Amino acid sequence: MNSILHANHICLHNHSTTQSEVFQKIAEMAVANNIATSIEEVIKGLENREKESTTGFMDGFAIPHTKSKAIKKPGIVIISLANGVEWNSLDGLPTKFVISLLIPEDEGGTTHLTLLSSVSRMLMHNDIRQNLLQAKDEDSILHELNQVI
Amino acid sequence: MNSIKIIAATGCPTGIAHTFMAAEALKIAAEKLGVEIKVETHGQVGIENALTKEDIREADGVIIAADKDVNIERFLGKPLLDVSVAKGIKDAEHLIQSIIDGKATPYKASKKAVSQANEEFEGSAGSKIGRAIYKHLMNGVSHMLPFVVGGGVLIAISFLFGIYSADPDHEQYNAFAAMLKEIGGIGFSLMVPVLAAYIGDSIAKRPGLVTGFIGGSIAFAGGAGFLGGILAGFLGGYVIVLLGILFSKLPRSLEGLKAIFLFPVFGILITGIIMTLCVEPMSAVNEGMMSFLGNFKDSSPIILGLIVGSMCAFDMGGPVNKAAYVTGTALLAQGDLYFMAGVSAACITPPLVTAFATVLFKKEFNESERNAGIANFILGSTHITEGAIPFAAKQPLVVIPILMVASSISAIMTYMFKVQVPAPHGGFLVLPVVTGAMQWVLSILVGSIIGGVAYGLYKKRTNQKQSAMTNETITS
Repeated sequence: MNSILHANHICLHNHSTTQSEVFQKIAEMAVANNIATSIEEVIKGLENREKESTTGFMDGFAIPHTKSKAIKKPGIVIISLANGVEWNSLDGLPTKFVISLLIPEDEGGTTHLTLLSSVSRMLMHNDIRQNLLQAKDEDSILHELNQVI
Repeated sequence: MNSIKIIAATGCPTGIAHTFMAAEALKIAAEKLGVEIKVETHGQVGIENALTKEDIREADGVIIAADKDVNIERFLGKPLLDVSVAKGIKDAEHLIQSIIDGKATPYKASKKAVSQANEEFEGSAGSKIGRAIYKHLMNGVSHMLPFVVGGGVLIAISFLFGIYSADPDHEQYNAFAAMLKEIGGIGFSLMVPVLAAYIGDSIAKRPGLVTGFIGGSIAFAGGAGFLGGILAGFLGGYVIVLLGILFSKLPRSLEGLKAIFLFPVFGILITGIIMTLCVEPMSAVNEGMMSFLGNFKDSSPIILGLIVGSMCAFDMGGPVNKAAYVTGTALLAQGDLYFMAGVSAACITPPLVTAFATVLFKKEFNESERNAGIANFILGSTHITEGAIPFAAKQPLVVIPILMVASSISAIMTYMFKVQVPAPHGGFLVLPVVTGAMQWVLSILVGSIIGGVAYGLYKKRTNQKQSAMTNETITS
């Protein structure tokens, strides 16, 4: 199994209603799955990145990401939201699908960074976005993402 | 019909997601519109899929979708669109269609040409030019910052040995402290030239660095302070831009000569002459301000405090500030201990304003600003006004007035409390010899905290406005 993305890293139909609740959830999942050591640090990192510019883009997708000392190994955390969350996105639509990329501060190797950027690339494809939004369970999401990572 | 070839460069500050999303979006759009595209990405791992000279030569148009520098000067003469990375993600098709339709203007190595191309595209000229100016300023300030902090803290440490410890004729003299002060002083003397150099660099790359450096050195030597440095940076940069336009008629075979000979020689000559003429009146400004101030030295605490405070915070080390400071030391020598107290208060306040702002409004400042803010507690407490310059230089039109008001409050209160300060420097290190030390510290803190809150609120508002604006341009 790929250690970057695992069925445990996916949470479907989450009921968060604000961006900070989503960040809290991402951070909790990251710590629970040994990706990161501190909930606060992960939240802070995600918030700081968001301040630079929004990570919400189109069709209800957002890719909050951060590089932090508190992150021990690179990981992807996925949350699908039961209700759309305001994310200041490029097309103004609320966010329904969150793919969070977590990168360790001292990530020297380029392998993981390349993987993460291929996830970003993949999301530009309409059909993949549709498949992800319509995914019924963790496995179909894993299946979709494993094509690129 | 020959197929159209487009090249593009994408980049974002983090270089993990948006860079690649924009690249992919452009590729998808190009495929859809049936054109060939090669996209260079400036990501966290460095530059990938780099454009070669050949790529650039063959390309029919260039799309830059980046929020960071992607070496735009490579694309001289190419039809080019320069947009934010978000626009690249969202409007990839529109961008490519514009290139196909020949709507992009050839890149002319001048910011003006680019902004014209974008004006057409985004329809928001004002914010674009404003953004460009801010970007140049920021480049200068971020390179200047370590000089200010490093130099300033070393000078502050030297004061711990006694505020006269660098004076060989004084009993406090300490060779190590004198050395620290000397080293720190070099950092300070490079501050204005570095600011100007990197403003110039942002405008016109390496030739601009050279003219900015020299213009900034002239500003510093001529006592024109950091405002003179900002002027020198923009002047140096745009002199090169202008020369670029003048030299564009020269045959291509002279290209090499241009970079190594024509730009530096003529750039330095023109920038140097203009800057020398500009700093010429600085000593007159300085003297004029001194005699102006002399007329007010016996007026009411409020008027005197207002004038001293405004002068000290206006250019922080420039001719106006120096006028107040030198008048203070001259009066001190004549036995007037009151006047200097207000000058010191007004000089200590600006760095403390920025320090309090970064502490009270943490979220509105980035990490390097927050660290510089902490250092400014030290610099302010030791009367090193220059600590505030990196903050003031970013938004001079708003931050300087805030600092002037804050310093005025500190100075007015100091005069009202009739505080006496017998030393010309040292900040809070001379507190033991200050008469009315408590009131003096209180005056300074009141001015600094009021200023800090005002500055923080201003930052908060601009941050909100900025995110609203990016949103607007993106959704437009």
